[in-house]
Amino acid sequence: MKVRAGDPIPPWVMEAVSAERMCTMAAILRDPNPLHWDREAVAALPLGLGAHTINQGPLGLGYIINMLHDWAGPGTIRRIRMTFPQVVLDGDRVVASGRVTAVREQDGGQLASCEVWLEREGSGRLLDGTASVFISGAES
Amino acid sequence: MTPRPVPAESTITALAGHQFPGGHYKVEHWENFLLTGCTGAQLLPAGMVHPVALFHVPILGAGTSIAQMFALGQAESDLSIMIESYDWEMFAPLREEVTYAISGAVKSACRCSNEAGQLYDRIEFCFEISDAGVLTARSTITWHYTRNTL
Repeated sequence: MKVRAGDPIPPWVMEAVSAERMCTMAAILRDPNPLHWDREAVAALPLGLGAHTINQGPLGLGYIINMLHDWAGPGTIRRIRMTFPQVVLDGDRVVASGRVTAVREQDGGQLASCEVWLEREGSGRLLDGTASVFISGAES
Repeated sequence: MTPRPVPAESTITALAGHQFPGGHYKVEHWENFLLTGCTGAQLLPAGMVHPVALFHVPILGAGTSIAQMFALGQAESDLSIMIESYDWEMFAPLREEVTYAISGAVKSACRCSNEAGQLYDRIEFCFEISDAGVLTARSTITWHYTRNTL
């Protein structure tokens, strides 16, 4: 594969964010934050989110990693930096997307700088960040 | 809810340089299986650990926990932490059943205020994961400890 600045990255879709997976994640992470497993705690916040659980930040980041793996292969991500302007809620349909912003030749391949994000339809970007991905076997 | 006293700014800034005990962590197959499944992906080939592990593996391996990190910055509650960013650098993939050495420290800590004038404390944690003395990954976590906003 050879990539160029401006190339889109094929999107990756999570059809419905799962509250059960958040519970499993909370246990693995030893994360005591009830936002991830207690809908009533979230409903009580003055944020107007209703009775939902809030997805762990790393899980949303994981969806973006899945998109990059499907595109460039496992083990190709060199760096990923993410901000979290909005929360992801259970039941959300979210789409990870991205595009190549710059490319340089490196180690017989290409190092692609990418803009990456996670969106919910009608809500704009929930996660917003950048990634560096090694594209192997590219012809120069 | 009764407002809690805001820690002295000097208490927060003094956290910079704080070292966690350090230690080791091995991702076993069952953990990678569950973790990868939580992201909606299939297991990666050749025992590769899903990079989403770069959140909790450094924290737990450095001998701390999310709860202890909340307490270190005197979080008002578990609900008062906001994420600024996660920055994961990967120099090699993590593998199942490999025992990694992990170190961690508070990289910076400062008092800030948002556009509404509300105080928060910005704490940046940095963790490094090594295999046989070679750096495998680095995770930088930046959280905001909000004060009296919920």
